[in-house]
Amino acid sequence: MLGDCPENAAVLATEADILVAQSQPRPDAATLERARRLYRRVRILSPSPEFSLRAADLACAAGDEEECGDLLSEVAEMGGTLLSPADRLLLARRMESRRAWREAISHYQALRKTAADSGLASWAAERIRHLEVEAEAQAISAPIAVLPPPEARLALAEARRAIATGDLRKARERLALAKRISPGYVEAALALAALETREDRVPEAIRAYREVLASDPTRFEALVGLANVLWDEPDRSAKEEALSLTERAIAVRPGAIELLRVSAVRWAEWGDAPKALARLDAYRRRSGALERRSTENLRETLARRVEALLSGQAAPEEPEVAEVASPAVDEWKLAQAYFRRGDPASLAAALDRLREAERLDPTFARAPELAGVIYEKLGDAALARAAYERAVSADPTRAATYERLAFLLARQPGKEAEAEETWRRAEQAGSSEALFHLAGAALRKDRRNEALSLYRRYLAESPGGVHTEEASRSISNLELRRRTIFSIGGGALVLLLVAGAAIAYRRSTGRTFEQWIRMAPGRAREARPIVGRLRHEVVKHGGLLLTDAARKLSEQDPIARANAAGLLLSRLFGGADARGLIRESSDVFDRIGALAREDGIRLNLDRKDPLFSPIARGSRILRRLEPALSRFEPEDRKTRRLVEALERSAALLRSVSGAEISRVLDEASATRVRFADLRDSLAAVCAERGLDSAYDLEPLGLFREDASRTLAVRVDRTDWETIWRNLFANSLDAARERPAADVRLGVSAELSRDPITGTPIARFVLADNLPGVLTSETIRGRGADRGWGVIADLVRRHEGSADVRAAPPPGYRKGIVIEFPAIESEVPA
Amino acid sequence: VTRSRTVLIVEDGTEYTDAFRSLVNSDSVELLRAGDGEEAARILTGRPADALFLDVVFDRTPPERLIGDLEAQISRFGGDRSRAERHLAENQGFYLLNELVPLLPETIPVVIAYDFSAEPERLAALRRVRSGLTGVADGTPISAVLESLLASVTTGDRPGGLP
Repeated sequence: MLGDCPENAAVLATEADILVAQSQPRPDAATLERARRLYRRVRILSPSPEFSLRAADLACAAGDEEECGDLLSEVAEMGGTLLSPADRLLLARRMESRRAWREAISHYQALRKTAADSGLASWAAERIRHLEVEAEAQAISAPIAVLPPPEARLALAEARRAIATGDLRKARERLALAKRISPGYVEAALALAALETREDRVPEAIRAYREVLASDPTRFEALVGLANVLWDEPDRSAKEEALSLTERAIAVRPGAIELLRVSAVRWAEWGDAPKALARLDAYRRRSGALERRSTENLRETLARRVEALLSGQAAPEEPEVAEVASPAVDEWKLAQAYFRRGDPASLAAALDRLREAERLDPTFARAPELAGVIYEKLGDAALARAAYERAVSADPTRAATYERLAFLLARQPGKEAEAEETWRRAEQAGSSEALFHLAGAALRKDRRNEALSLYRRYLAESPGGVHTEEASRSISNLELRRRTIFSIGGGALVLLLVAGAAIAYRRSTGRTFEQWIRMAPGRAREARPIVGRLRHEVVKHGGLLLTDAARKLSEQDPIARANAAGLLLSRLFGGADARGLIRESSDVFDRIGALAREDGIRLNLDRKDPLFSPIARGSRILRRLEPALSRFEPEDRKTRRLVEALERSAALLRSVSGAEISRVLDEASATRVRFADLRDSLAAVCAERGLDSAYDLEPLGLFREDASRTLAVRVDRTDWETIWRNLFANSLDAARERPAADVRLGVSAELSRDPITGTPIARFVLADNLPGVLTSETIRGRGADRGWGVIADLVRRHEGSADVRAAPPPGYRKGIVIEFPAIESEVPA
Repeated sequence: VTRSRTVLIVEDGTEYTDAFRSLVNSDSVELLRAGDGEEAARILTGRPADALFLDVVFDRTPPERLIGDLEAQISRFGGDRSRAERHLAENQGFYLLNELVPLLPETIPVVIAYDFSAEPERLAALRRVRSGLTGVADGTPISAVLESLLASVTTGDRPGGLP
């Protein structure tokens, strides 16, 4: 028969069935083998589930479980409706043995559906639950085997700094080095992902993020970063994965509420309005009024935000990462799977697994870290903290653990400082998230520059991070504030500079005392008594006092020291009967300055004047000593600075010559008197009155001895000329009725000294032979005659005197004596 | 045994006297102070001094207690009394010198608190009245003044180190 219809599947199948049916009670091995061969031919000719199922039965009967299983699988793949519960069980067991968890689960699910009794269905459900954990655990990659060596960590740190400063080329070099040294270095991969993102190298960024997630599936930044990158891809499958990653990130960090808003927007764009709305509502429930208002429109338009995206993308190559050879890894992976399920029983199971993992390998940090996450989820902060701290102890280099601990602490009242410190440790471990939170902490403490720097670093290191928007907003605000402050500060700086320049200008400009007196010699008369007081009260008394006082303060005897300090205090700063050296000095400077200002001249006695500046500097030093002298304790030996200050001021005052100041006054205010000048004055007066110029002036006294002799008097030249023109005018008035030839006018000059004070005096006598009587009263009288009144005023003003000479020179009837102070150098002793 | 020296200080305040007492180790010196010419004359009449120290400006002394011919000064300054009084006050040291010198033996040194360094001819003129007269240059420590005075008492020379 076989040979008659070799290509008819149904005939061959019938032949095989007959063979088996005829072998009663049961077919032998040869019969079974022949029947199986026939069915193999049947399945080639006509593949069908029925034929495969019959072939599977024959294989089972022959004891060939492998082929039986293969054939049952074939049936299942072709629909599986023909499979009995027993077949399903067989297939499920087969898949379990092969650790093909997903396939096993699928068979158990079919078994549960087709099971006649509830007990079998319940049992199948339990197996499904178990296998799903196993399946998830299987999908979890083990952590990398080794901690990065210091060289790699150093290279990463350098790369981060380079990213922060914008030197991306160097950053890439350092990251390449870090990964070369430690190929599975998660932090380096994360930094590389950030770098690639920043440079828009999307495939490379995706690859780097996947590398991170392969080693650390709950790494929040990688989840968010990869989600962001994928979401920007046009590929819809990429967006689908981005949604999944976003959900995972929310699960990892429920406190990241901004991510809820991101998720809502993405689901809206994806076209799943209900999910979008659910996310958005969750976000709005946990955010403030401002955020709620800003999402009103989004919430209303969610349903319309649907967009389809097309095309696909080849999955990037997964990096080869060495896994930890820890006995705890399997337990941890199972715990991860239980944790993802989220129900209380699964969480309890996860904790059991993690306890076992910690027991097996106390150095395996992931186990206590995950335990911490679970304890947090269960609301036990103390256990969570303890678990995180165990994780930190086991692996102090892992940033994620610090981050979790910092988040935990930040949520607990009164632990803000601990949280910030933990963020700092996280930042040192390479956490970009920490940068964001440290920036916030700095901002709250008004350390705005630090905050700005940290936000910038965050954006540089984590351009696709969850806080990107907030960090950008904060940077904008801070920069705006900084610009404002700079503007204000710049304005203030300009003002300060202008003020500084003005001060510098004032210090470097202005006239000296001598310049002023030479420009306004008439002021010498008023300045003289003021300067005299300065000489006496400041220069002389200061010089006498300071050097000895400084020496006395250095002595051992406390009484002597106390006396010296007391004396200094009263002499420098005044007492009941005196104003004190400092005030005297200040007063003199003020009065001289005021006089000069009346002439429109600004003096710079303090800084520029060679005569007065040492006094000003010495006074400034002394002025600062008042507190020290007031609090002076005789037993206190620490008087070195006080003594030094006194010695400095004494030296400054010693450098001042009061006599030199007086000499300047004398020189500036001196009028050089020559006989020829007096004769010219007489001629000028004659000319003014239209008189004959034959009136002559005879030289007498020193002028007779030497007509070219010059005498210097302390009288302003203008005043001097006014005096003599008035004197000559009076004489000419008296001579009006007489011929010029009969009139004799003469001027004598004498030099002498005051017998008491020794001050030099220049004496001039205007003699004439004219009629009339002059008395002292006439000459000094203020209103008797206008000319005499002017003369009297000017003489008095210049500390001179005017009188009538009782004994005029021979040949003259009367003489008018005018005396003025003379210049010292021209008057012999 | 060195005999204690007596120095008469004539000043309108107590600045010099206090400074001598506080700042100079003057155990062997007896310091006497007179506030005006009349008081100084009274002291000198009662007991001899070994040295005389004269302040120059006596602007805290009442005008009626100033030494000098006020009327002559009023006349000199054209009847200006206040100017005359000010002149007497500002130069009182010189009027005191003129008044007290006759009461002092020629050998007794006299220091007047005035810097003659720019007015050597004036000092020379005054030394015609009192050959032992010495001024005090600005910046001279008070100890130097006293030491010079005491040294001159011993040597009989004009106080050295002072102009």
